[in-house]
Amino acid sequence: MKLFSTQIIVPVDSNSVLQGALEVRHVLEETIAKFNLGSQVSVVETGSLGIYDRGVVLAVFPDDVYYGNVIPSDVEEIVTEHLLKGRVVSRLAIDRSLSSKRLVEKESGKSQQKIVLRNAGLIDPENIDEYIARDGYGALAKALAMQPGEVIQILTDSKLQGRGGAGFPTGLKWGMVAKEQSDEKYIVCNADEGEPGTFKDRLILEGDPHSIVEAMTIAGYATGAHVGIAYVRGEYFMSIARLKKAIKDAQAYGLLGDDILGTGFKFDIEVYRGGGAYVCGEEFALLESIENRRGEPRNKPPFPPQQGLFGKPTVVNNVETFANVPPILLNGSDWFKSFGTPSSAGTKVFSLSGDIVNRGIVEAPFGVTLRELIYDFGGGVKGGKHIGFIQTGGSAGTVLNDKYLDIPLDFASMKAYNVSIGSGVVLVAASDVPLLPFLAEVAHFFWHESCGKCTPCREGTLQIKAIMDALVNRTADPASLQRLGVLLNLLSDTSFCGLGQAAPLAFESALRNFPEVFDQALAESHVPEACQEET
Amino acid sequence: MELDNVTRPAGQTQPLSDEDKCFLRELVETNRIEHHGRLSYMDIMFDLEHRYGNSLPGPVLGEVARLVGTSPAQLNGFVTFYTMLSTTPRGKHVIRVCTSGPCHVSGAPAILSSLRQLLGVDIGETTPDGMFALEASSCLGICGVSPTLMIDDDAYGNLTPEDLPRILNAKRAGGTQ
Repeated sequence: MKLFSTQIIVPVDSNSVLQGALEVRHVLEETIAKFNLGSQVSVVETGSLGIYDRGVVLAVFPDDVYYGNVIPSDVEEIVTEHLLKGRVVSRLAIDRSLSSKRLVEKESGKSQQKIVLRNAGLIDPENIDEYIARDGYGALAKALAMQPGEVIQILTDSKLQGRGGAGFPTGLKWGMVAKEQSDEKYIVCNADEGEPGTFKDRLILEGDPHSIVEAMTIAGYATGAHVGIAYVRGEYFMSIARLKKAIKDAQAYGLLGDDILGTGFKFDIEVYRGGGAYVCGEEFALLESIENRRGEPRNKPPFPPQQGLFGKPTVVNNVETFANVPPILLNGSDWFKSFGTPSSAGTKVFSLSGDIVNRGIVEAPFGVTLRELIYDFGGGVKGGKHIGFIQTGGSAGTVLNDKYLDIPLDFASMKAYNVSIGSGVVLVAASDVPLLPFLAEVAHFFWHESCGKCTPCREGTLQIKAIMDALVNRTADPASLQRLGVLLNLLSDTSFCGLGQAAPLAFESALRNFPEVFDQALAESHVPEACQEET
Repeated sequence: MELDNVTRPAGQTQPLSDEDKCFLRELVETNRIEHHGRLSYMDIMFDLEHRYGNSLPGPVLGEVARLVGTSPAQLNGFVTFYTMLSTTPRGKHVIRVCTSGPCHVSGAPAILSSLRQLLGVDIGETTPDGMFALEASSCLGICGVSPTLMIDDDAYGNLTPEDLPRILNAKRAGGTQ
């Protein structure tokens, strides 16, 4: 292996690429060659550093200097000043603490705790050796030396719960599949990340794809499955490419295939693509889609651990859930439980978006508050404005006011305070963003994404959309809020799957937390004459 | 029996050439090998859209249904369920504008209305020159740089209405930026 004295890290995740990261990398490599530094400086591509809103970012190690908003014409200055003369180009240097823990620790005593994102942004995701150098596939080797039951016991003890939104205990799920007698079992990774405002799975898949390959293989060993399927959103072109490369490299290293690490254990992974259907994040709809059908949910029970893909016992876990597995096996369940709160072990990856200064991804222990996420990690609301509303958990999540800022976010407080965590969305809207058009957009989203299988959701989402549009246009009739309340109850009580059941959350919580907005819209409404007879 | 008729949209009446049939047979077989004896219709459909100008002609779907051993109606049901697939002809480049919450808060409505104006078409329509199809999309998962859109495989973020003519012109000229 060649040794370099300096490494320059270039994130080439989707966000960075669309801001010109590939051009910068190209010029950087040319300039390094031009100044004959090729033997001392290596340019390493990596996944996202979790820094957004700073254009193309370059990180220089071991100097630990970060440059932001780099354009190709800046590159020569960085090379000649920093690499040749050792002088930091202060014009371009950015305060890394904006997006990472240092400043935050000072201010709040809390810091990011990276378990899931341990490698993202630190390693070249397309280089399996770098993953292995950071203890990669060590957990798999450790698991293969244990009995499958012991692996499941560690996960059960760790109290890891599913990170896709439902929070089902992972160890319990794996145990159910392990218990089933079947000639075929499946491990499915739900990477159909579609909850609006969530971009964490993309970061994991693009920044550390091997962690998913390793975790799925461990799941296969623990449950007696030999086939893994990763179902990735169709729009995630780079995630698909990175994951496919990781699978190919793992096969070449004997970490996937017929005789993994010489133990005789057989496991392989295939990638299936989604087609742009939000409902396919629902586990049965996802399995239907893999089976080449319309992504419509199935009746439960039986649940996937009993009769899942092709009617066989199946583990379905979210990307983030899988990414937790290797560190738990390496460090033990007590280590994992040392993070988070009594009801919720470990960390959660939050996606900060909207009117927030530092939009991006934060991994923090459960129990973190919205105030810490928005003000400490996120740098507050853009333009120093006040918070108008916050949506947590995604479109199928809750709309909150600033009274919720100090509630610790974990599975217990979700129930106690009616706060969704869901997939970890924290969408902040400044005080000048009107609430009702936003909610109308959410209503439109559910109407569009309803699969149409059950009547409450298919027709109900249409009616909710009509009422929200009428409120926005100030044409709502006096009984519309009452009707909205009935519809919301109907959907949550009688919809066939989680999509329809969760669709009312945003509207229910908005009615609870912002009743005055609805009342005002109603007071200002005039029913158009043409419609008056019908109402 | 002429099963093709079930899935044949208007204006797609041309029968398949031998070259097409050969291509389809190979496509299905390659897919079967890649998925160890199973098939992924989605992969096949994406490949077909690539070849047939961003849409799935009825006769092609009819032939694929025969090759994979399902009915054209089943396959049509599959195809029409998924937003990314289309049975009606679409422009050379598909523009997907994210309209979900995070982008909405950061200005997606303005992006969408100026695209409507620039292209002279509404959502779900293709420009008369056949260059662009305009679609509204749910979250594209790049909310860190909202508002966002994708044109084919390329994503664009931190958009303002002023950025759009440049992006469209570059696409028209065949570049990616």
